Amino acid sequence: MMESSSSSTQLRPGLWQTVNERYPGSMIRKSDVVPLAKLRKPLSESRVAFVSSSGVQPIGTLPFDVAHPIGDFSYRRVPSNSAVANLEIHQLKYPTIGARSDLNVIFPIERLRELVDDGVLGSLTSDFFSFVGYNMDPARFETRFAEELATAVEGEAPDVVLLAPA
Amino acid sequence: MALVQRALERRGIPTVSVSVARDVTAACLAPRAVFVPFMMGHHFGVPGNARLQRAIINAALRFIEEADGSGAIRDLPYTWNEARRGAYSGECAP
Repeated sequence: MMESSSSSTQLRPGLWQTVNERYPGSMIRKSDVVPLAKLRKPLSESRVAFVSSSGVQPIGTLPFDVAHPIGDFSYRRVPSNSAVANLEIHQLKYPTIGARSDLNVIFPIERLRELVDDGVLGSLTSDFFSFVGYNMDPARFETRFAEELATAVEGEAPDVVLLAPA
Repeated sequence: MALVQRALERRGIPTVSVSVARDVTAACLAPRAVFVPFMMGHHFGVPGNARLQRAIINAALRFIEEADGSGAIRDLPYTWNEARRGAYSGECAP
């Protein structure tokens, strides 16, 4: 159910199939839609969580294993009051040239705090969440990791979750 | 990531993704997403443009209430070239 035309294919036809045969986590196809949950209160009263697959993590936490052949199925908590200077990126699959000079282009933690200060959002969850979004076992990812992470996010009692798939 | 999003939405928490890969997001039926045609790793725009970064967050969160059904994707009115040239930083940013 697309709001706009889906004709904006970014790669030539068939290329994704080739990529996905070798890297099975690259493009996951689902055919069942998940019913939409309702927003229960205005955004200005909502507690917002942020989840990122950018590999951003607090300096001093165990670095993501970006060289593991199957993938790193772990997540890190990133306190939403973290100073940007105390965060670092462990990820190989996207250009970090922008993030190196302004982390907010991939992990907009300062912008989210400003939106709370301005009254646009109610509050932020104590922790945000980060993992490395590239792996070779999508079944394990879906049945175990995604549920583990969802449980951790749910534990922060968010009213809304913003996600940025890196 | 859409698999995490789907798991959260199934638990009754409204979610929205900011995507730079429209076809990947569409294929896995993320419950709701906004698409920006930006370089990977630059979902919220360019360094130093706080106004654009905020605008993308706001547009994504607004879409939680405005999406017309599960799997909906809204294309945001930005281009990477314009963002890199410093557009969208003024008062008239969309």
